[in-house]
Amino acid sequence: MTAPVPSPQPDRAPTDWKGAAMQKRIAARYSAERRFRTLGLTAIVMSAGFLAYLLISMLHDGLAGFTRTEIAMRIDFPTAPIVLDPASLRSANADAALASVNWQSLTDQAAQENLGKDSIWLAPSAWVAVRDAVKHDPSVLQKVATLNLPASAELDLAAKSDGSDEAEAAYARLDKTGLVHRAVNWSFLTASDGTDPTQVGIWGAFKGSLLTMTVTLLLSFPIGVLAALYLEEYAPRNRWTDMIEVSINNLAAVPSIIFGLLGLAVFLNTLHLPRSAALVGGLTLALMTMPVIVIAGRNAIKAVPPSIRDAALGIGASPVQVVFHHVLPLALPGIMTGTIIGMARALGETAPLLMIGMRAFIASPPGGITDPATVLPVQIFLWSDEVSKGFVEKTSAAIIVLLAFLLGMNSIAIYLRNKFERRW
Amino acid sequence: MTDISNPKTPNPKMSARNVNVYYGEKQAIQNVSIDVDTDNVTAFIGPSGCGKSTFLRTLNRMNDTVASARVTGEITLDGEDIYSSGMDVVQLRARVGMVFQKPNPFPKSIYDNIAYGPRIHGLASSKADLDQIVESSLRRAGLWDEVKDRLKDSGTALSGGQQQRLCIGRAIAVEPEVILMDEPCSALDPIATAKIEELIHALRGRYAIVIVTHNMQQAARVSQRTAFFHLGTLVEYGVTSEIFTNPRELRTKDYITGRYG
Repeated sequence: MTAPVPSPQPDRAPTDWKGAAMQKRIAARYSAERRFRTLGLTAIVMSAGFLAYLLISMLHDGLAGFTRTEIAMRIDFPTAPIVLDPASLRSANADAALASVNWQSLTDQAAQENLGKDSIWLAPSAWVAVRDAVKHDPSVLQKVATLNLPASAELDLAAKSDGSDEAEAAYARLDKTGLVHRAVNWSFLTASDGTDPTQVGIWGAFKGSLLTMTVTLLLSFPIGVLAALYLEEYAPRNRWTDMIEVSINNLAAVPSIIFGLLGLAVFLNTLHLPRSAALVGGLTLALMTMPVIVIAGRNAIKAVPPSIRDAALGIGASPVQVVFHHVLPLALPGIMTGTIIGMARALGETAPLLMIGMRAFIASPPGGITDPATVLPVQIFLWSDEVSKGFVEKTSAAIIVLLAFLLGMNSIAIYLRNKFERRW
Repeated sequence: MTDISNPKTPNPKMSARNVNVYYGEKQAIQNVSIDVDTDNVTAFIGPSGCGKSTFLRTLNRMNDTVASARVTGEITLDGEDIYSSGMDVVQLRARVGMVFQKPNPFPKSIYDNIAYGPRIHGLASSKADLDQIVESSLRRAGLWDEVKDRLKDSGTALSGGQQQRLCIGRAIAVEPEVILMDEPCSALDPIATAKIEELIHALRGRYAIVIVTHNMQQAARVSQRTAFFHLGTLVEYGVTSEIFTNPRELRTKDYITGRYG
């Protein structure tokens, strides 16, 4: 039984490769190519443009937040009405000795002497800088020292040509005397939240984010990786595992605010964990991050060639040895990439943390995961809500810090992936 | 299927009796009975899809990794049923090693590729001992002179033929009793193939070797006994020279003379 040989078709004319219809087809093909290229290029240029606009506007608004206006002040410590033995500042109870001095009145008096009626432009918290200068170098107590003290938020804005008429006039006046200048505001990186925009810093929120991320990572990474390994390497394929797979995929798509409500109901109301703490924030974000890690992990594990598993099984490796000696090391770069993407998402998350009370005003950095804390995105949200104009640039500056944090995390992810990636 | 071929060999290492393999509903192997001789190389030949690789994988229970696979009948190693509940699969696979169609070295160093098996089975008592095992395994795999100066290089950086010899070295490093080779040369060029065939000659006697091949000349060159599979059944089994010069079955004759395949 042989298949019938297809009969030749004599009625079919030979193809006219040079004909007009064919030329038209070629022209259409070329223009389709050109069109597609142009569209692709446009898409790239547009996304690059958006990114550039975001970065430039953030840097433009935010960089000023890292600087502050300072006023140089002569303070005559020997004649000032303070009783403080420099020797006591080197002893163990230096803080108690410092606390015994009324720095505020000392600073106010010096401001009156130096600036007269312009003393109102000194920041209300300038005395902190005086105290810290003495603490840092007790020898200033024996001499007339010139200290650079922070100016008030209004004067700071005036220095950036964005203040009230009154403040701008005062700034012009002070600028002529040569007493004011701009300096890097290191305290923005070391202080915490406050009510005075000249005084606030992001260290508290940064540390809160760090602690929250640590809790999230320690919980979601092992659970996510073990779940992915079990589902890929051990679980039988049946209706139950299909259902689990669908559930995990859905979990990854659940809006984050719902995880916040879950955290509120379970961790705060049922388990009575401390409110506003990095522990609860981390737990909530771990719930959100875990499905992302499971999905990324399963894909990475699937990508490990089966021939490696065969090779290990073929020389008598047990299933656990196959997984931990071969599959996991090969899948790790992919798992880590997925983990960092999940963590980056968790780092930028605000909504679920608002639900569990991490939007409280917290003026000191958290000491541990059970202390009240806030995180960078929530801090940005809080500052953007402030009435005082001085917070605008602080908000942008905090966004720059958050973006730098994210950039750092992604760089680590790329580094780790390249370092551990192997070819087979 | 009448029992045309005699499954028995004078000195069997492994014996299969009335083995059937099913993938779900589909039967891939029908009633195969065959002995694997201790001192000889046994070749399984047959057209694609005839079940020779499937049958090979039942000999070290690699089919266990396929969820739908089911094996009936009896397969023994030194008289011990390898499908009995008392048989430890992990240890069985150390005793019955396997070399795959596509060279599959671990993406680790050449040294670690060889040392992995001895390490997990605790065969080396010291670092020097392990070094010794690695060297002797690579020597027996005919690879030592080519790689002795770059043991730290990745096994995947070797050429295809070298990778396959590395895989053979990896299998013999755990001192198996049987080595199963699943078309070990199908991805290699003729020169690399010749080297593997030389290696099989050199290893004969020390290990019972089973090789699946669809290259009949190769079966004739390397094996002492040949089994011809067709459509899931064992058609003929006997001494290689007889199978190739004087087959008793018409189907065998048609296959080895190239009438189909």
